[in-house]
Amino acid sequence: MSEDKQGGYVALLGWSLNAIDAVDRMEGRRYVVVAPDWAQDYCEQHNIPYIPWKFERINDRSFEIANVLKERGVDVAIPLFEETVEWAGAINAVLMGNPRLMGQAMLFRDKALMKRRAQLGGIRVGIFEEAHDRGDVVRFLKRVNQALLKLDGDPDDPIHLKAFDKAGCLGHRVIRTPDEVDTIPDEEFPVLMESHLDGWEFAVEAWVHDGKIRFLNISEYVRLGYSVFVPASPELEKWRPRIREEIEKLIETFDIEFGFIHPEYFVTSDGKMYFGEVAYRPPGFKVFELLERAYGFNAYQGMVLAFDPHTTEKEITDFFPREVVDAKGHAGCFGVYPRRRVVSDLAIPPETENDEYFEFHELQAPMENKVTKRNAFGTHWGLVYFFGEDPYRMRELLTKQEDLDFYV
Amino acid sequence: MSEAGRPQPVEAAAPAQPEAATTALDTKLDHAIERLAQARPFAKPAAIGPVLSLARRRLLQPDGVDALYARAASLDQAGIFAGTDWDNPQALSASFVGAALAQGSAQQLTLECISALRMLAIANGAMPHPVVSAEHARHFLTQVLAHNVRRVFAQAPDEAERQGDAARAELIHRLFGFLVAHVGHADILASVCEEIWRVLGQRPIQVQHARAMIAQIAVTLTREDVAAGGVRLGADRLINALFGPTELSRDDPGLPSYRERLAALDRPGLQREAAGFARAMHDVGLVSDYHADFLRWLLEQQLTDLLPDALGLSSTGIDSLRCYSDLVHALIAEAVTVATAQAVYALAMLLERGTLYTPAIAPGLWRQIGLELSAQAEATLAATFGTAVPARVHLLAGVISVLGQPLGVAQGNNPTCQSARAISLWAINDPDYLLYLIAQAAKFDRLRMEFEGQPLESDQLPQGLAQSVPADNDPVSTLLVPHLDRIYNEMGRLCAERPQDPHAWVNPEFHGWWVGRQFAIAVDVETGQLADYETFLRHFFASYHPLFNGNQPVIHPQPAGLAVTDSNGRFVGWHAISLLRVALDHEGTMRGYFYNPNNDSGQDWGQGVIVSTQGHGEWPGEASLPFWQLASRVYIFHDEPYAQPDLAGVPQKKVDDARRMALESWAADRGGD
Repeated sequence: MSEDKQGGYVALLGWSLNAIDAVDRMEGRRYVVVAPDWAQDYCEQHNIPYIPWKFERINDRSFEIANVLKERGVDVAIPLFEETVEWAGAINAVLMGNPRLMGQAMLFRDKALMKRRAQLGGIRVGIFEEAHDRGDVVRFLKRVNQALLKLDGDPDDPIHLKAFDKAGCLGHRVIRTPDEVDTIPDEEFPVLMESHLDGWEFAVEAWVHDGKIRFLNISEYVRLGYSVFVPASPELEKWRPRIREEIEKLIETFDIEFGFIHPEYFVTSDGKMYFGEVAYRPPGFKVFELLERAYGFNAYQGMVLAFDPHTTEKEITDFFPREVVDAKGHAGCFGVYPRRRVVSDLAIPPETENDEYFEFHELQAPMENKVTKRNAFGTHWGLVYFFGEDPYRMRELLTKQEDLDFYV
Repeated sequence: MSEAGRPQPVEAAAPAQPEAATTALDTKLDHAIERLAQARPFAKPAAIGPVLSLARRRLLQPDGVDALYARAASLDQAGIFAGTDWDNPQALSASFVGAALAQGSAQQLTLECISALRMLAIANGAMPHPVVSAEHARHFLTQVLAHNVRRVFAQAPDEAERQGDAARAELIHRLFGFLVAHVGHADILASVCEEIWRVLGQRPIQVQHARAMIAQIAVTLTREDVAAGGVRLGADRLINALFGPTELSRDDPGLPSYRERLAALDRPGLQREAAGFARAMHDVGLVSDYHADFLRWLLEQQLTDLLPDALGLSSTGIDSLRCYSDLVHALIAEAVTVATAQAVYALAMLLERGTLYTPAIAPGLWRQIGLELSAQAEATLAATFGTAVPARVHLLAGVISVLGQPLGVAQGNNPTCQSARAISLWAINDPDYLLYLIAQAAKFDRLRMEFEGQPLESDQLPQGLAQSVPADNDPVSTLLVPHLDRIYNEMGRLCAERPQDPHAWVNPEFHGWWVGRQFAIAVDVETGQLADYETFLRHFFASYHPLFNGNQPVIHPQPAGLAVTDSNGRFVGWHAISLLRVALDHEGTMRGYFYNPNNDSGQDWGQGVIVSTQGHGEWPGEASLPFWQLASRVYIFHDEPYAQPDLAGVPQKKVDDARRMALESWAADRGGD
């Protein structure tokens, strides 16, 4: 390999075997995994470059790990999980001599701050407020519905409660009546409250390098928390130019030079786009794996290219395929939640297993018979993967899975 | 979003055609294989799941076996076997394949199928392998087919399996069909016959499996499409031994017709029949139903003077028979039926062994003949052996079997080698005690033994290693093992806290006074590390090797413990055997002869240590190894309490050879001492 193709040295923050596998296979790049000490034996056994680190609340020691990485000659740190985003900001501030990266990371980690910043940048957001106790929640629910000019007796519009700093659906609750407010445990406060938007929710994955979008994917949620597929259906893809504009606005507002962002939006029936939130790490629901299935490129490798300051223009342009047209089909997955209160066996429904689009599943046999009651959105028990050519059939298939029992 | 605005796809998705579905599945499978191939070794485990899931579904389709065969090489190279036993194809054991297919998880089933197809690809030269040669692969497949002869010759999926899991039964059937089509019938028949001869050569008590295989071969040979050629001869001897061992029964006429023919036969003709039965029985080790019925007919016709011929007895056996003729006649009348025909061979051996001359044996057998079984014992035996003849008949036949063939006892598919060994040892060293135990268990559903003076009652002890009544054992084992297992376990528990291996106390207490109270063990019980191994080996040579122990043969067969290794010499586990004798074979090699409670003693333990069962001076049922090779695997043995073996008299080279062999196999990670 020629000298000028020599890429940089990256640190992966957090443990993801798929990410490690992907970067290990890249030519011309060095890497080191920064992960908790339980990973040590595994890394030694498999010759994976590794530095042990406890990612707790960010503290004075962030400087310590930043210096360790700097001494090693690491160019950039890549966060793999929500919890490591602020660490990446702190470390990259040191590695790149750019203190603003730390502040930027704090924006990504605090949903209330994030929304304010978006609003300041002229991005449309719903109504939101922080709540410190249940009184705040009741007040917000009433104010929102007053503003909507609801009459007494009309059903109230719901509001959404989200933890400030958790990924995805974790800690997400929907509140419809003041009675429900009592069910919120004390320890969940403070929370972010948002008005409900009746629209089509979707997510975007964007790889950014030199302040420019290098690849933009739209993930279509068939049902939030249950199913997603990529690339999106033509109905959603027709908004791509508008979506691109919104993302560019986001990049400018948040001052993003490089990296990977994963924002969520609502598009309402009249075509208005509302910003939900943005994360600076790979999305959940294995969207990276879905992208690889649909397009054939490895999304983690794309992330390394986007973060690495040594990446050349040609390298990154050659790496990404053309959006939508280069996809070989649509890849989707469905998160399974048991539908019964008591389950004893894993039983893949024949209509799923025999479907032409079905690929494989990652479900395990149940460890306990009793299903814990879901509060908020909870976590699914595993994913079922599909791949096929027709986006409508895919959407129908994913919808149909909601009515099937995978655990009996 | 609104439904109205949604455009229909240009072409409505056609209902999935079977062919289209197959193609789609192939594409998905190939994609998953590609991802697995790309993954680094540490990431392979996660990439294997999707491949296995897709491969399994592809296998279940009608042409799935072909499709997977075509991908055998790419699956192997992608790393489908990474981190599993299948990754070492040279060490795979053909005998496990059938069980893994039938009982393994969906993943194991899929891996086993792919493994077999990989072997076929190697055998056919379609896939060169760095370690496994085409010949080896071919031999392996032949062995797999030989072990699964029932499936190979079956015209349709096994009905019992089909009722459990139809798709799996169908797949197994198609897999074997595919393998047979590529490997060929003649090869299998030859090796199946060889296999049966080898197993029967060890004279097991339990022969149902061999009988079933021979019946299958007989059926196969009548089909025209099987070109058996020279194989036919060996097969015919097996088939005839079961279905037509004599002139009069050659055409397998059925018992009623056979009896009619007997009635019309003259005295020389009857003698020829008697000799024919005896010859076939001693040749093969199987007893024909005609033979059993012939003996009953001789009793009925008061032609008992033909019994010595019909049993093929030597002068010793004839003398035994004459001294105890009433007893032997009673045993035939009470225990030899078509359902228990195999007891005829054991009866002949019982007479030949001279066991009846031990004073307590004849009365003990009379007790057994008149014994009333408890309801529970009756039910247990009926559950295993059926109700065609009463349970007491099966038990009496079983008693004759263990006394006549002490080395034919086996543990079946149960983790109860100590109990099987104990029955075998008592049948040799203490046959009257064994009769006593059987009578107690059959009549009272309990056994009482003592451990250092403390009484142990089997019916008051928790379950041992045998989780249920073993269904694949001889009648005596079926009855005794659950009791023995509990008592053995309890004895182990009672000395678990002592600072030495529990066998030191349990073996003599459990078996009898004749187990030496001096105990030698090669490893430290706490750490599993070798402990003064050199002295251990010297002691073993000095006590048991005739050239170093003053030419003293083994008096009572002794329990001993072996470190069993696989064909790569890797440690598999500790195993109980009996040391029977040490002697020179006809080539002048000093060999240790031992009893292994496994069903088949012929095993490959790696490093060229191949346990022999025939051709090196073994008596039927014995296993043997050159003494130094046996020494390299022994880790526990007993010696007489005051014995002071001449340790210094053992040449250093003998010790070093055995020691090196142990250190290069089971003791590799045990510190070397």
